[in-house]
Amino acid sequence: MEVRGDPSDADVVARVLSGDHEAFGLLIRRYEAGLLRFATRMLGDRDVAADAVAESFIRAYRHLASCREPARLRTWLYRIVANRCKSYLARRRMADVPLDDAPPVADPTDNEAALERAEQLGLVERALARLASEKREAFLLKHVEGLSYQEMAAVTGERIPTLKMRVHRAREALLQALEEQA
Amino acid sequence: MKPIDPRVHQALDREIAREGLPPELALQVARLEAAAAVLGTAVSQWAGGSVEARVMAAIRRPAPSRMWRLARWLAAPHSVTLRIRPAWSLALAAAVALVTLLPAGDETPSVGEQEGIAQFVARFPGANSVHVAGSFNDWRSGTIPLRDADHDGVWRAAVVLPAGAYEYMFVVDGERWVPDHLADRTVEDDFGRENSVVIVRPAAR
Repeated sequence: MEVRGDPSDADVVARVLSGDHEAFGLLIRRYEAGLLRFATRMLGDRDVAADAVAESFIRAYRHLASCREPARLRTWLYRIVANRCKSYLARRRMADVPLDDAPPVADPTDNEAALERAEQLGLVERALARLASEKREAFLLKHVEGLSYQEMAAVTGERIPTLKMRVHRAREALLQALEEQA
Repeated sequence: MKPIDPRVHQALDREIAREGLPPELALQVARLEAAAAVLGTAVSQWAGGSVEARVMAAIRRPAPSRMWRLARWLAAPHSVTLRIRPAWSLALAAAVALVTLLPAGDETPSVGEQEGIAQFVARFPGANSVHVAGSFNDWRSGTIPLRDADHDGVWRAAVVLPAGAYEYMFVVDGERWVPDHLADRTVEDDFGRENSVVIVRPAAR
C-alpha cells in the first residue's frame, strides 16, 4: 500500500519501464504481504502460496508495459495472483490440500496468547477451506483484503451483482461452517 | 445452506448501523468480522527465503543475448551436426558440465539418507571464477564456487543437496550466465531463458 511521501505506483512503474529494474523491489515490498496472505488463504499452503506470489511478480515484471493503468497496479497484481491460484486449484482440488490436518502455526514467542491466536486461525481456516473456491475468493477479497466491489470486478472479471451474490453466499457458508465447528 | 438475515449483510456492507440489530444477528456479524480479522493476520515469511529475494534474483539475471541464443541453437543436437558446426561454436559447446551422483565415500562430504551429491563440472578456459547458481541457493551467484586446482580450465564442485530436481546455470567471472548445454534436461523459465536441470537422487537407496 502506498504511504504518503512514497512514490506512487505509477511513478515506480515508470521508473522500472525506463530501465531502473531495482525499483521493482519497491512494488514487491509494498504488496508482498497482502498477496502472500491472500494466496495462502486461497491455497491453504504457505509454501505453495509463496511460489504463486513469486511467479506472479515475475509475470507482472515481464508484462509491466502492458499494465494499462499503473495507478491501479494493486488490483492488477491481485488479478495475476488470483489467476495463479485458480490455475493451481484447477490442477489440484482443494480436497487434496490437507488443510484440516495442518497444525496451527504459533508465533515464535509461543506464549499463551499466540497459541490461542493460532488455534483461532486454524479454526477459521478449516471453515474457509470448506467453501467453494469462488466463494472463498470473494470473501477474502472483500473482507480480508478490503477491496471494493469495483476492484473485485477488475480482479476477477466478474460482474458486480455476481460478486455481491458470491459474497453473500460465502458469508452464509462460512457462518454455518463456524457454527458447526463451535 | 441456511440463508442469513438480510440485515446481517446490510450491516457488514455498512448500509445499516449494527447497533440496532437484534442480539442474535449482531452475534453473527461479530462472528464473521472476527473471522475476517483472524484471516487478515500476516502470514509469516516462507521458509525458503523471501519472495522479494527470489523475484529480484530472477530479474537481475541477464536476459539471453543473441550470442547466447545462437550458441544454444548451435549446441542443440537437432540443429547442426558436429561435422558442419563452426569452430567458435565448438568453443562455446566446450563449456561442458556433467552432473552425476557420486556414491558417498571417504573423500566425499557426509550425505544424509534423503540427500545426494551433485557434481558440477564445466570447462571455461581463461575464466577467473566460476560459480553455480540455481533453485537450490535462490539463484545467488556468489555462494557455490567451482575450483580449477590444476589450472587446466576444467572447473569442479561437489554439492550435497536434498533429493529433488533443481534448475541451475553457471556464472562465469561473476557476470556471464551460461547454461549447461549438455545437461540431461532443460526447462524454460518465466523469462524465456533455458535453465539446466539436475535431478539429485538419495545416496542411500
